[in-house]
Amino acid sequence: MRSLLVRIFVSFWLIIGITIGVAAIAGYYYAERVRNEMESFEFDDAVLDASAALSSGGREGLTDWLRKAPASRNVTIYIVDGNGRELLGRDLPRYLSRKLHRHESHIPRRVRTDPSNLRRARPLSQLVSGTGDVYTVLLSRPHRSQGYWEGAPAGSLLLVLALIVSGAVSYLLARAISNPVRDLRSATVALAEGKMDSRVSPSVGKRRDELGMLARDFDVMAEKLQHAAAQQTELSRNISHELRSPLARLKVAMELAKRKTGELPEFDRIDEETERLDRLIGQILSYTRMESGSASELAPVDLADLVQEVVENVNFECRAEGYDGVNVETRLDATPTVSGFAEALTSAIENIVRNAVRHSPPNEKVLVRVAEENGAALVEITDKGKGVPEGELDRLFEPFFRTRSAAADSSKPGTGLGLAIAARAIKLNGGKVVASNREGGGLRVVISLRNE
Amino acid sequence: MQQLEKKVKDGDARVLLVDDDRQLGSMLGDYFAGERLDLSVSTSGEEGLQKFAGEAFDLLILDIMLPGLSGLEVLQRVRRSSDVPVIMLTARGDDIDRIIGLEFGADDYLPKPFNPRELVARIKAILRRSQRNGTDSTRLELGTILLDQRTHRVTVGGEELRLTGTEFEILRCLLETPGKVVSKEQLSERALGRRLLPYDRSIDTHISNLRGKLERSGSPDATIQNQRGVGYLLIPGT
Repeated sequence: MRSLLVRIFVSFWLIIGITIGVAAIAGYYYAERVRNEMESFEFDDAVLDASAALSSGGREGLTDWLRKAPASRNVTIYIVDGNGRELLGRDLPRYLSRKLHRHESHIPRRVRTDPSNLRRARPLSQLVSGTGDVYTVLLSRPHRSQGYWEGAPAGSLLLVLALIVSGAVSYLLARAISNPVRDLRSATVALAEGKMDSRVSPSVGKRRDELGMLARDFDVMAEKLQHAAAQQTELSRNISHELRSPLARLKVAMELAKRKTGELPEFDRIDEETERLDRLIGQILSYTRMESGSASELAPVDLADLVQEVVENVNFECRAEGYDGVNVETRLDATPTVSGFAEALTSAIENIVRNAVRHSPPNEKVLVRVAEENGAALVEITDKGKGVPEGELDRLFEPFFRTRSAAADSSKPGTGLGLAIAARAIKLNGGKVVASNREGGGLRVVISLRNE
Repeated sequence: MQQLEKKVKDGDARVLLVDDDRQLGSMLGDYFAGERLDLSVSTSGEEGLQKFAGEAFDLLILDIMLPGLSGLEVLQRVRRSSDVPVIMLTARGDDIDRIIGLEFGADDYLPKPFNPRELVARIKAILRRSQRNGTDSTRLELGTILLDQRTHRVTVGGEELRLTGTEFEILRCLLETPGKVVSKEQLSERALGRRLLPYDRSIDTHISNLRGKLERSGSPDATIQNQRGVGYLLIPGT
């Protein structure tokens, strides 16, 4: 009963069904009462007629009347004399003879001779003739409509029909409500996954009701989001361009200067700082980009594959830049697939692994483990460095935060943004990242992502 | 080709830079002059295309971010008629631009801001690569794939296959040792004349382009396979 469609459908159908049922039962009882009353009127009339016939014609008169008696549509009248014989010699239905038998023990002691004096004890009424003979008038059960629906052979068919029609109506009604909701939902999901051009107007916007209004509002919102995302991308491109153009000129100017004056020790410093500025700009940009994830769309990502590639690259980097024999190893305990932005995830894992490498003592290993736990995909990065003071663990993922020891050590320059970028990228992917100190030293960073 | 070799030997290969940064262009011009490269500068894509159509250049350098016609569009138009070596200048970190440039047939890329020494090194590596052509007259063959080292042509089942210089060089490497893995480092040294860098996806992208062209050619008798973390190899049969 999770889906709106099913819920509305079942509720409507149930309500319609209950209404039909209640109406039918009420109708049945009402009709029964009316019929009972009418029958008792008929019966009273018949008894009065019989009484008149008895007083005017005696037993013969009564027999005669009974023979001609206007057979009521539904019931048969039986008259039994004091000896238990039916006047027309008919056999009583068993239930009537039982009733008669039971009744006989209660035959009133005082028998009046006045024929008009009837004892109304439906369905047993007794007539007393002038000679004192007692006749009992019996009324059979209604022949037809023993049950409610037996009276109308099409009754059960009608019931089925009512159920089908009410079911169909409920279904259509439920669908009319749930369909646009479903469309809205899929558009929202698509929007969240980065398909900025998803709109609902073509399917829902034509409706004139509240849902139609909601759909049009949604489209306005999506339009604005798309615009904002496009603007942000544009802006970061422009910043990138504007900040880097002077750097590019600076580098060429440096080389020209070197050619003229020969190498000076200060030039190396200038090169280094230019390099650093460039890295910083790149990191700030990717940090900003992580906010929107607008550049890419959600897609299934093979985490093991991604980790292996990152590790390969970082190892390559280690060899190229000489990290004193530090080596990154991968351990695949599982090969989970997550739904995410591959580029952001790569950037996240890369930044954390690189950070681990930077803080590893020479010739030690950094271990990257991919695992699955409680339905979550995990990437665990552990190093054998000094770890981080407990009090600073929480702040590790803040932009430009550096632990005191890292800040003091100028031989390992970072931009201070790597881990912040990682945290943002992981958040963008709906995951979590936690850092803790390992027993025996070193930092452990665990990324957990929803497993697809 | 003959003409190009001569120029490189004479030391004044003609390079066209399309970049809207006028000052950068003029400084690079000065720097290139000392490296015996003749640099022309266009500040817009349209102007660059015009100049390229009017004069003979040995190499193009295209900035991705250009006002009007983007660097990628210029690249696409150039590739319609020419296999001239192209180096793209991209913004560092804009991974997408970087890859797309290579996918549209650029030979190499360099993130901006770059060190001009590095740019010159890459230009010379690519030009030097062309120099080697024509020295070896043997033909390399695998199934229906035929590579003529003298004419710099590749045919698949008799049909000519148009490849960029880098793609040609990669295919040549793979054809020399069919069935044997060639490392990405080797491919980079041979085809791009430079060392492989960390996070360097250029060889992978060129391979993917080459693979696509081979598959589209109809009847390739060989497939390029990736050996994770090792390199690539050409395997006979499809």
